[in-house]
Amino acid sequence: MAVLDRSLESSPAESSARVPVGSILHDWVVTADHKKLGLMYIASGLVFFLVAGVMASMMRIQLALPQNDFLGPNTFNRLMTMHGTTMVFFVGMPMFFGFANYVVPLQIGARDLAFPRLNAFGFWMFLFGGVLLYFSALGSEGLYGAGSTPDVGWFAYAPLTSRTFSRGNATDYWILGILLSSVGSTATAINLVTTVATMRCPGMTLGRMPLFVWILWVDAILVLFVLSPLTAAQVMLLFDRFLGAHFFDTQAGGSAVLWQHFFWFFGHPEVYVLILPAFAIASEVIPVFSRKPLFGYPIMVAATICIGMISMSVWVHHMFVVGLEPGANTFFAASTMAIAVPTGIKIFNWLGTMWGGRIRFRVPMLWCTAFLLEFVLAGLTGVILATVPIDWQLSDSYFVVAHFHFVLIGGLLFNIFAAIYYWFPKATGRMLDEGLGRKHFFWFVLGFNLTFLPMHVPGLLGMPRRIYTYMPGRGWDAWNLVVTIGVAVQAIGILYFLWNVISSLRDGEPAGDDPWDGWTLEWATTSPPPEYNFEEIPTVRSRRPLWDLKHPEDPDWRWE
Amino acid sequence: MSARRDDDRGSIRMPAPTAWPMLLAAGICLGFGGLVTNAIVTATGAVLAVIAAWGWIREVLPVQHLEEVALRPAALRAKDVRPSTARVDHLEVGQDGHRMRLPIEIHPWTAGLTGGLIGAGVMALVAAAIGVAGYGSPWYPINLLAATVMPSLSQAGTKELSAFDPTAFGIASVIHLLASLLVGALYGLILPLVPRRHALIGGLVAPLFWTGLLWAVLGVLNPALNGRIEWPAFVLSQVAFGVAVGWFVSRSEKIATLQDVSLAARAGIEASGLGKGRDEA
Amino acid sequence: MSTATAAVPGGLEEATGPLGEDRKGRVGMASLIIAEISFFAVFIVAYLFYLGKSATGPQPGEVLKTPVVATICLLASSVTIAIALRALRAGSLGGFRLWWLATILLGAGFLVATALEWHELIWERGLTIATNLFGTTFYSLVGFHALHVTLGLCMLTFVLVAALRGRLHPEDAERTEILSWYWHFVDAVWIAVFCVVYLTAR
Repeated sequence: MAVLDRSLESSPAESSARVPVGSILHDWVVTADHKKLGLMYIASGLVFFLVAGVMASMMRIQLALPQNDFLGPNTFNRLMTMHGTTMVFFVGMPMFFGFANYVVPLQIGARDLAFPRLNAFGFWMFLFGGVLLYFSALGSEGLYGAGSTPDVGWFAYAPLTSRTFSRGNATDYWILGILLSSVGSTATAINLVTTVATMRCPGMTLGRMPLFVWILWVDAILVLFVLSPLTAAQVMLLFDRFLGAHFFDTQAGGSAVLWQHFFWFFGHPEVYVLILPAFAIASEVIPVFSRKPLFGYPIMVAATICIGMISMSVWVHHMFVVGLEPGANTFFAASTMAIAVPTGIKIFNWLGTMWGGRIRFRVPMLWCTAFLLEFVLAGLTGVILATVPIDWQLSDSYFVVAHFHFVLIGGLLFNIFAAIYYWFPKATGRMLDEGLGRKHFFWFVLGFNLTFLPMHVPGLLGMPRRIYTYMPGRGWDAWNLVVTIGVAVQAIGILYFLWNVISSLRDGEPAGDDPWDGWTLEWATTSPPPEYNFEEIPTVRSRRPLWDLKHPEDPDWRWE
Repeated sequence: MSARRDDDRGSIRMPAPTAWPMLLAAGICLGFGGLVTNAIVTATGAVLAVIAAWGWIREVLPVQHLEEVALRPAALRAKDVRPSTARVDHLEVGQDGHRMRLPIEIHPWTAGLTGGLIGAGVMALVAAAIGVAGYGSPWYPINLLAATVMPSLSQAGTKELSAFDPTAFGIASVIHLLASLLVGALYGLILPLVPRRHALIGGLVAPLFWTGLLWAVLGVLNPALNGRIEWPAFVLSQVAFGVAVGWFVSRSEKIATLQDVSLAARAGIEASGLGKGRDEA
Repeated sequence: MSTATAAVPGGLEEATGPLGEDRKGRVGMASLIIAEISFFAVFIVAYLFYLGKSATGPQPGEVLKTPVVATICLLASSVTIAIALRALRAGSLGGFRLWWLATILLGAGFLVATALEWHELIWERGLTIATNLFGTTFYSLVGFHALHVTLGLCMLTFVLVAALRGRLHPEDAERTEILSWYWHFVDAVWIAVFCVVYLTAR
């Protein structure tokens, strides 16, 4: 309880007097500390999340009514592109790296990542990449003279991205922003792989790593494999646009389909890169709040590795409508369905963890429970879409949009909220408010289902994605109105969340070292942890070192 | 390894804060940003990147720059983790008040198949009896079943359906036996997993369930049968089947499973610490 | 595990396994190499995909000559860098400097050979990155490889300068070896490029 004064968080030397803002800012800019970098990743991810969320809301307002003229078609294209690009590259990725940065070294009992300065480099590359992307709004000359953000869609199909069809520099900003942030992401992934491989505390064998660390490790390895192909493809596109190369220039024999292959060879594993951290968070939160050890730990590890490997052989399911040969379609449909098996194993293991436990429905657990339900729905529509003939019918419709928003919000974002509620006390020393948290949960989950459950229907009725308006009387009107109302309800939830974070930072309830009665090493240090994490590097004998200390009469190492 | 055990010095060496990585990132981003703005930006970025890279190298070579971080005073450190006063309850297999009920013993799968054959006989008898009572012919239900795959029969009238047809008899027998074996095998496997009321579920609920299923899809599978079927008689024959199989399966002798043995042991891995806890490591 | 637990409860001695903190450079470099392999794989796939699909000439078979000298230079440099490291381990700084310098010269020789090849292709054969699909894929693949050789040479030169100024000691063998991994990787990529680009052109 002694570490409540937040001015103590970096070192005792600062404990007196107020530190000037400039000095604090300087500390954060030059830091190589994994905790500060982790928080900066998460904070910038949240800022990008709000921006992209506002874009989504504007698009929904436009689509609420048929033949609405709130936005023009060009603005709509830009918003749609920036929303997708931002959410994938500048929200999903920094959330992954943010939590990995903050939590992994603490959980494996290390003082920092393997290469602290490289970590800082990775973060700044990510951030400057994002800034460059958004600078396009001011600096890019579009078709109409004014600044123009990219408008080619987040997967930027060729040949729309060629100089002929995409004048000005908007597409170049898209390429460069992602290219630069990808370099940073690769650097951070190398850092994470190395950290987990070499920095574990004494006694922490691979079989005793918390599952959170295991999953993020597999995830970082996956990033190594799939992110550089994207970088390579972006470089090719850059060559096409600046040097007159012909990679994706169909006039000179180049192939537009090759871009699709390259993009989706990155793009589909990317979905797993984004969702694996969600699995990692659920694997941490569900056991602690069920008061039981995780069910089927070795199988969970095996399933994670399976997902990582299979995810690299499913990308063509984004391309069924291209008209590839039936053999390829069959293989990729089968592999896409196969990936549901390890994912299903995980779902059952989380249920097995909850089953018979003394479940405490605090806010993190609420999010994880909702995740289980929503993610099963998301997975089911995924298996539906993996069926080639159904995909031919539904591809590029709102059914697909509803499906992947179910995955990325119901799967990823719910768990990110769980993680924020779970580790906020560790990072700040103060609890997030439980009441506001429940309101946030209620409104957001309600709004989410109001938005994305009905969204499947206009898709089935034939509404294509990426249209900026539609004619009345096609049976889409009511559904679209409900979807837009759902967005407003979600926004209420987000406002509660923001208010919760701000007010809890100022005067939240003090957390203490271990507010959740947790079992992994981060709860053995203070909240917030000192710069060096642990006075003495801990030694572990089981997967739940703190359980062993709390229950010396029945320690885990007797059973593992 | 060297960084450990240095708390007795009252401080810990951590990597010193440095701005070079940030400046290198800024330089690289400006360098590429020049492509879409102005060559001067690229030049500035390149210069910045070279300077920052050199600064970074000086920071880590020949030895990386560390700073001493003083340990917090003891009062501000994390408190020791204390033993909890809460009692630990282990879940036990078949524990009271807990729904976990793994099948420690199951019926052999052969019982399911044999039961299926017996059920097939009973069901055939009941169906034939209904055929005789309703249409004066035991072949009537058999021909209807064969109509699933015999287009000629699906257009036939009651008279043809009441006559003996050797092809239809053969086809109906194969369909009937296969379906009965399959359902019998399912009974053998699934019934032991159901916690209680085996007779009710096996004899009544399951037959009603698949009758409902058939009711929904029969129009597609077998329009002839769908047009002529009498559902009460149909349900009666299905229940006869269910009761027969359930009866046979439930009186077969159970065999033990390895459910209470750990996965590693079941997989045949020989290792220490399997199954029972170690008293002292 | 069962025998070890007798000594330390819970198997402490397994600590961090064979990969301790002192091995982080190796793991980091291995990770970087994985990412780089993935990067080059895409360019190689693109080259093979577009092989023979150029709408206009020149075709690879008409203009490419097997780069014998460049290949020998680069392959030999992998041998010399290994000898240099062995010398450093043995404490022979003189031998290290000599063989390390040889590595740099061989690498530079490779770059010169590539430059001459490109000069001929561009000025005499009229093949640029914008000429046709072959030019596009060829210059990207070979160019990125040459870029990696250049970066490698910069790092090798940095080490050489340190060695000449007496700042390099046998204790730095680990770091130097990690750098040599990168060099071997660049060499291995050349073998792939050689097979994919030059052998298919014969």
